Amino acid sequence: MTQIARPAPGTPRRLDAFELPSQPGNERLALARVAETVQGLGLSDARLEKLKTAVAEATMNAIEHGNGNRAEIPVEVEVTQNGDEIVVAISDQGGQAHPGGSPTEEPDLLKKLDGDQSPRGWGLFLIRNMVDAMDITTNGQRHTIWLTMRTGGAAHAEHV
Amino acid sequence: MPSMCEATTRVLPGAAVIELSGEVDGSAADVLTDAYHAAVGTDAGLGTVVLDFAAVDYINSTGIALIVSVLARARAERRKVVASGLSAHYREIFDITRLSDFIELFPDLDHAVSELTGPAA
Repeated sequence: MTQIARPAPGTPRRLDAFELPSQPGNERLALARVAETVQGLGLSDARLEKLKTAVAEATMNAIEHGNGNRAEIPVEVEVTQNGDEIVVAISDQGGQAHPGGSPTEEPDLLKKLDGDQSPRGWGLFLIRNMVDAMDITTNGQRHTIWLTMRTGGAAHAEHV
Repeated sequence: MPSMCEATTRVLPGAAVIELSGEVDGSAADVLTDAYHAAVGTDAGLGTVVLDFAAVDYINSTGIALIVSVLARARAERRKVVASGLSAHYREIFDITRLSDFIELFPDLDHAVSELTGPAA
């Protein structure tokens, strides 16, 4: 899942940047603040809900898997706009060992119901299906997930 | 982390209803498990469990996992699970995860109860 590529360079405008302690539940703070930041930028209500879910899931992964629920290590969130793209970058210090970014078995509901797969493991799957593009970069210990959503675009025309 | 999820249960002829409110996330595990126990009780013949999400404002991936666990248990006990009151967003998530292949979705609790117990219920 770890990729070298990141969203295409341009002249992004930073809309917001903030940090959160790595404590369970703080993903709600991230989604609320990102939703407020992107309000009025042209995302439909349905696509805003998708972005909020993706931000919450990515932040949960960063808190739990990346920073190991260690409150003193912050999760960093940056929101930028580049043309018709809104990009939310969520970074932790999980590095290459980040379980949330390693290749994982695709969730299979039937296997889960039959006990052949853990009931969990939906996070990255949900993120991929919520946004127009998802990219992951790792630079040393810094692990970042990039969530891209086009304003005014068709609902989920493509994803990685 | 304290749970922000609450559940109330009631039993109808042939079906039990679990009305959820708040947030269905990892902290809701005990709430959901206890509600399921309360709903089905010792009635091995109870055929259907209705999960009503009308008052739920947040479901995350861990909450989805809890719903999967409830569904797995119900299937093992040969019970059907249906859901009502999901927002359009969470209906889509139920579609994406294929939960809606196994859980019939109703727009609201009245529709679900009417379908399951008949209009007179």
